Amino acid sequence: MRTHSRSTAWFLASPWVIAFALFGLYPFLFSLGASFTDYTPLAPSSTRFVGLANYTRALNDPAFWSALRNTALFVIGTIPFTTAAALALAIAVQPAFRGRTLFRVGFFLPSVVSIVVLSLVFKGLYANHGGLNGLLSALHLPTPAWLQNPRTALPAIMAMDVWSASGYYMIIFLAGLEGIPRDLYDAARLDGADGWARFTHITLPLLRPTLLFVLVVNSIRSLQIFAEVFVMTRGGPLGSTTTVVYHLYEQAFSRFQLGQASAVAYLLFVLSLGLAWVQMKAVGAQEQSRS
Amino acid sequence: MKQVLGLALAALLVGSCAPQKKPQEVVFWQFWPLDVIQPLVTAFEAENPGIRVRVEQLTWDGGKDKITAAVAAGAPPDLCELGSTYMPRFLQSGALSDWSAGVADLRAGLRGWEQCMVGDAIYGLPWVLGTRALFYNKTLFAKAGLDSSRGPETWAELQNAAARIQKLRGNVHGYGVSLNDKQKLFKKFMPYAWGNGGEILSAGLDSARFDSPENVAALEFYLGLRAVGTLGMQDALDQEFKEGRLGLQISGAWLFKQIPKEAPGLRYGVALVPRPAVDRGTHASFAGGEVLVSFQTSKRKEDALKLARFLVRPDNALALAMAAQSVQPATVAADTAAYYRERPMQQVLIQQFTTARFTPNHPAWDEMEQAIEAEVEQALYDKKSAAEAVRDANARIALLLGKK
Amino acid sequence: MSDSREQELAPPPPPWAMSIRRWLWLIPLLLATLLPFAWMVALSISPNAGNSMAKALQGPWDLSQYQTLFRSAGVGRYLLNSLGVAVVVVILNVVTAAMVGYVLGRKRIPGERFWTLGIVATLMVPKQTLMIPLYLVLARLHLLDTYAALILPFAVDAFGIFLVRQYVTQLPIELEEAARVDGATDWQIFREVALPLLKPVLAVVAIQAFLTNWNSFLFPLIFVDSDRLRTLPVGLALLSQTEHSVDWGFLMAGSTVASLPVVAVFVAFQRQILSGLLAGAEK
Repeated sequence: MRTHSRSTAWFLASPWVIAFALFGLYPFLFSLGASFTDYTPLAPSSTRFVGLANYTRALNDPAFWSALRNTALFVIGTIPFTTAAALALAIAVQPAFRGRTLFRVGFFLPSVVSIVVLSLVFKGLYANHGGLNGLLSALHLPTPAWLQNPRTALPAIMAMDVWSASGYYMIIFLAGLEGIPRDLYDAARLDGADGWARFTHITLPLLRPTLLFVLVVNSIRSLQIFAEVFVMTRGGPLGSTTTVVYHLYEQAFSRFQLGQASAVAYLLFVLSLGLAWVQMKAVGAQEQSRS
Repeated sequence: MKQVLGLALAALLVGSCAPQKKPQEVVFWQFWPLDVIQPLVTAFEAENPGIRVRVEQLTWDGGKDKITAAVAAGAPPDLCELGSTYMPRFLQSGALSDWSAGVADLRAGLRGWEQCMVGDAIYGLPWVLGTRALFYNKTLFAKAGLDSSRGPETWAELQNAAARIQKLRGNVHGYGVSLNDKQKLFKKFMPYAWGNGGEILSAGLDSARFDSPENVAALEFYLGLRAVGTLGMQDALDQEFKEGRLGLQISGAWLFKQIPKEAPGLRYGVALVPRPAVDRGTHASFAGGEVLVSFQTSKRKEDALKLARFLVRPDNALALAMAAQSVQPATVAADTAAYYRERPMQQVLIQQFTTARFTPNHPAWDEMEQAIEAEVEQALYDKKSAAEAVRDANARIALLLGKK
Repeated sequence: MSDSREQELAPPPPPWAMSIRRWLWLIPLLLATLLPFAWMVALSISPNAGNSMAKALQGPWDLSQYQTLFRSAGVGRYLLNSLGVAVVVVILNVVTAAMVGYVLGRKRIPGERFWTLGIVATLMVPKQTLMIPLYLVLARLHLLDTYAALILPFAVDAFGIFLVRQYVTQLPIELEEAARVDGATDWQIFREVALPLLKPVLAVVAIQAFLTNWNSFLFPLIFVDSDRLRTLPVGLALLSQTEHSVDWGFLMAGSTVASLPVVAVFVAFQRQILSGLLAGAEK
């Protein structure tokens, strides 16, 4: 159709595509290529093709699988809570009420500070004689060594992640909620539908694209968790908080073996892609019928 | 919207203008604050009219990545500071420029050449060194009925002192045992192993020597300290020490800068790391440092060497050490300088250098260090005995020797 | 129906009873959320407390860390650089996200799903592996150590494009179709019909683009050498961190100051999210 080809041409000619090709696509493909070589940035001219050697080395490394397990635990343990909390908060602060802006800002605040600083703050909070244990001992509750115990270290980091991410995704849900026509709610109220019915029959279905976005993006981000681990536990204790990207950093990146690092990165990529595809199938099916 | 977009693009075009990079500038990347390093650089420029130096400060977190990226792109700085932990890989890569001829005359006056040599070839200049020593709390010593004028000399004395302090009331602990703080646990444990006569690799760096009775004994001693102390990462232990709740720990010179600011009333002392017994072993410790290097693809190599030679002069290295406090000059007999004679505790650290050990310069060293730390951690969490941990670490090291 | 529309345009002030009911369960949540910040601020006003909560609570408290912060050479410069760069990146991001997201959301190009997946795929690779190739690209273009190095690689952001695309798919298409029937061109439809409806999501894109860019550390560290181009996170790290220690009070003061512009941007833009009130009322 006429509209089709003009839009296509316009889209392709736009400078954004060029910028994307240079700064988005090229590094992506470079890393992919590097994963089949023994590329090291310190001696780039001596790069040799090694085929799938990096991939087999990664897949045969028990440390990789342990990191994968930790990452999977992390994702499963945070995404549902963050998503639910973000949605609940968004619904809570969406209608007009006094002081609404204060609450919006307050809940969003954790996302504002750099993750490194936040991790440093929480490292202090989780310390053996830190703020959290101080609070717990005042309430006569047990005070575990949060970051030194292999059983509690990862949950501690997960709790911090839910705390800091909920406000961020709350904003996204807020925008999504605003896109739902108000009259639908009014009509439903007239029909006698209660709050829960309105939520499940109007809000949730119309929020599906936003929900899919939150799930996909939060999953991608959680699969790549690194800074928190680096600052708070350095992958310990006993490797219980080593995530895939931390494993990549420690094993390959810090040894200047970018080929190996890229192979691990692309294994993670395949996982992310798979997860996103599953999420799109499960949540995004609605899209076809709308437009 | 079009106006806004136009403005943004215009800003972009203006922003694309690169700063004028004068071709006669020597580009120097290092990790110290500019107010510390700039006086030295200015003095160099005064002595060498015609050479201008552009100093950039790197962050410890990410600085190595920046250097790596620059080398990868073929445009590294002319002179660069590298930590001894980075050196093995850089040496192996062939990216560093050979200074064997240019620094031969400095051999006698500096310490720490092991960090920058491969065989007989020299690839850098040792600038400042760092080590670890035993810090102890004099107030707690006195409370526990110990002689606070000197630190423990032997393992037995250390054990005894820690036990007595641990018994004191008031939430104090005897000895601070380091948990697996990557690249730090090693420096807190190996002093005991080295002091007991243990080794990691053979002299020729071709076989693993880690599995030895000396190392097992050292690890058993280290594990035993848990009962008379507390466990923690370096910053947590430092914090406890500064708060006066920790009797003894192995730590480094950065405390000299922190304690006056954060704990001015703390009465503490510094001693050499205790040796196994009065008649056995040595007061060994870990030694590392900062090295000045130039790269094969650097543009101004001769001027970079001149600047490096200037910076390692005893006065200049001392100026840096005085400002930084967390390191000491690599100059031989640095402790005879007036500055250190007036500061006996810092002098102890320099004396510690004479019996301190650098890590093996094997290219796979960081993986070996990781193996040792991981196995020691297993023992710390009682997942393995000391003998098993040492044996498994040795097996992993042997495997790494076989690879590149 | 027109009655309810008039009501929408001039909403009455919210009743106190309803507000207080909300406060009852929101305030405890808010306090729990803000506790770590209280600690951050407490550390920033307690010089010499180091990292110790106990010491920080004892006092003395003063603003000396903030004074040191602002007297530190370069902090003002770092702030301005961060602001300038962030503003340009936000503008470019919002424009790209709007245009590309709209085209993708309305499925105006063949294989749209494939393009979307491809764009989102670039988010799925950790940035440590992309760092070196990005550096090489910038080096070859002679853009290292320029403002462009801080702006260009971040001008097109998959996150924003994907967000707008999702939002567009849930927007009713009837208005646009009506405008097309009236003879409007593609560009007119986009600019006059769709764009106003996209305000809420573009506000979110602006907020998140500002936030990501403002706190960005690794890439600005690697791509820029000169002190005069330095941004705030890198500057703060240089001033507060040594190999073995962190100047806590200084870092917390710096971080508190650094969060203020983001909060300001958020407060300014979050009202835009409200403007969606009109979006659904057109029927």
